[in-house]
Amino acid sequence: MNKHLIKLGLIASLCITSAQANAEAIDKYWQGMAKTYFPNAVIEESSLIKITAPIRAENGAQVPFTFSIDYPMNEGSYIKSVSVIADANPVPMVAAYNFNANSGKAEVTTRIRLETDSYVHVVAETSDGKFLMNKAPIRAAGGCGGTIGGDEQLARQAAGKMKLSVKSGEDASLQMAHLLIKHPMYTGLQRDLVSQGFRPAFFINKVIAKYNDQVVFNADTNIGVSEDPNIQFPFRAAQSGKLTVLITDNEGKQFSTSSDVQVN
Amino acid sequence: MKLFTARACLILLLTSSSSYAEPLAINEVADGVYVHVGKHLSFDENYDADIANIGFIVGNDSVAIIDTGGSYQVGKSLREAVRSVTALPIRYVINTHIHPDHIFGNAAFEQDHPDFIGHANLPQTLSLNEDALLRNLQKELGANAGGSKVIIPSQIVKESLELDLGDRKLQLKAWPKAHTNTDLTVFDDKTKTLWTGDLLFITRTPSLDGDLKGWVSAIDELKTIQDKLTIPGHGNPSHSKNDMLDKEKNYLVLLLSETRAAIKNGMSLMAAINTIGKNENGDWQLFDVVNRRNVNFAYPQLEWE
Repeated sequence: MNKHLIKLGLIASLCITSAQANAEAIDKYWQGMAKTYFPNAVIEESSLIKITAPIRAENGAQVPFTFSIDYPMNEGSYIKSVSVIADANPVPMVAAYNFNANSGKAEVTTRIRLETDSYVHVVAETSDGKFLMNKAPIRAAGGCGGTIGGDEQLARQAAGKMKLSVKSGEDASLQMAHLLIKHPMYTGLQRDLVSQGFRPAFFINKVIAKYNDQVVFNADTNIGVSEDPNIQFPFRAAQSGKLTVLITDNEGKQFSTSSDVQVN
Repeated sequence: MKLFTARACLILLLTSSSSYAEPLAINEVADGVYVHVGKHLSFDENYDADIANIGFIVGNDSVAIIDTGGSYQVGKSLREAVRSVTALPIRYVINTHIHPDHIFGNAAFEQDHPDFIGHANLPQTLSLNEDALLRNLQKELGANAGGSKVIIPSQIVKESLELDLGDRKLQLKAWPKAHTNTDLTVFDDKTKTLWTGDLLFITRTPSLDGDLKGWVSAIDELKTIQDKLTIPGHGNPSHSKNDMLDKEKNYLVLLLSETRAAIKNGMSLMAAINTIGKNENGDWQLFDVVNRRNVNFAYPQLEWE
C-alpha cells in the first residue's frame, strides 16, 4: 500500500513538473493574428524595434513594457504607427500608437495587462508602408479577468484625473512626457456580484497630445492597458510652449490637462 | 509516447484524488487549538496547495475551521484531521482573506453545511476574481485542482463578530485594507490565541496585495492585542508576536520609503523592481520572488499619493 502511494506521489510530482515546463509563452497565435490585424501586409522581423519587458512578470495586472524604434523621424521618413499585441490576451490589441515627425522618436513606456504567458508583438508601420515587427515572450498570470476589488462608485468619481509632467530627454531637442491617468480600465471580463453578470467595460480609448497645437502623439488604447494608465512618450520641442493632453473614454467623456515646457 | 505518459498520469491523478485523503499533520498548540503549518513554497515552482497555516478550534458543542488550504484535496485532509480529534459538528469555516492558498479547501466542508464566514469585502472580491482564481489554480495544480471551488461566504464580518463554539468564544475582527482588502483575524478567548491570517508573515516574505500604508497601520494595532500565542498566516506559531510584527514592519517600511524615493527620483517601475529591497536583511524565505512582486504592486499605488 505504502509503496503504491509513494509511486503515485512520484508520478504526480513528475506530472506537475512537466505541466509547469509547458506553461510558458508559445508563439502559436501569431500567424492567424497577423492576417487579422494586418491583412495583405508583408511583416518583416526587425531588431530596429527594441522591447524592454520582464521575462517573468511580477504582476499580470501591471507589466512594465517599453518599445523604442531606431528609425528616422523626419517629414520624409518616419514611423507612422505602432501596434502592441498581446497574443494570448482575450482582447489581444493592447494599443496602437500614432506618431509623426514631430514625435521625434517612436518610443513608449507603459504598463500592460497579461492574462497568461504570452508573446507580445510590436508591429511598426513606416511612412512608406513597410511593416517591421519584433516580439518578446513574457510569463504572467491573471491580468484581465481579475482585480482585487475596489469600489466602483469611487473609481468612477476619480476616473479621468491626470498628472502630466515633462522633462528634457537625452537628445536636447527631445522632451519626455509622463502622463498618469486615474482610471479603473474595466475590461468587461470581470464578474460583478450585483448584476450576476460582468461589470461593463469602462476604459480610456483615446489619448491625444498636442504641442503648441500640433499633434505629437495619438494613441488608441484598449482594455489591455493597465488600470491607472501610465504612458511616457517623447516629443519634439524646438521652442518653449505648452503640451496639452486630451483623453476620451469609451462612454464619450473627455478630460484634458496641460503642462508648460521651457526650452532654452 | 510523451502524450501517452501525460494521459496516464492524468488518469492516475484523478483516480488518486477521488477517494483517499490522508489526515493532515496537525499540532495542538494550545488547549483545543490545532494548527497545520504550511511549507514555504512559491506559487511558481512545485506549488502543492499546502503552503499556508490552516487549522481548527474545538469547543464543547462545535468546531470552527480557520482557513482550509489551497485545494479541495488539502481541505479534505484537514477534515480528516478534524475527525481524528473530534466528532463534533463543524459549524463554521472562517477564511482570513481571499488568497487561494487559504480558501480553496472550503469545498471539502460543504457536506458539513457550516456558515462560511469572511470579511465584508470577501463576497464581492471573490466574485470579481472567481474566474482568474480558478484558472490560475488549474494552471498551477493541473488535475490536483480537482474539486476545488470558490465558495461565497454565507456570513460576513463588517467590524467584529463573536462566535460561540460551546463554552468557547471566538472574536473575529475585520481590518481595513492591509495585506488584502479582505483581512480577518480570529482571537480565541479561552487560550488567548490570535490567528492573524496573512497580516503576519513569519519566515516567509510578506506579500502585498492590498495597501502598503494600511498594512503598516494594521501592524501597529495588532501590537496592542494581548495574546499568549500567535498563529501567523505563514511560519511557525510564536510566543513573541510583537518582535515578529516589528520584523515584518521593518521590511514594509523599507519597501514604502524606497518605492517613494524611486518615484520621486523618476526611477522607472522596471528599474525599481530590479533594485528596491536590496538593503533588507531580514533573512526571509522567497525574498527575491516576492519582493519584486511587492515593488510592482506598491509603485503604481504610491504614484498617486
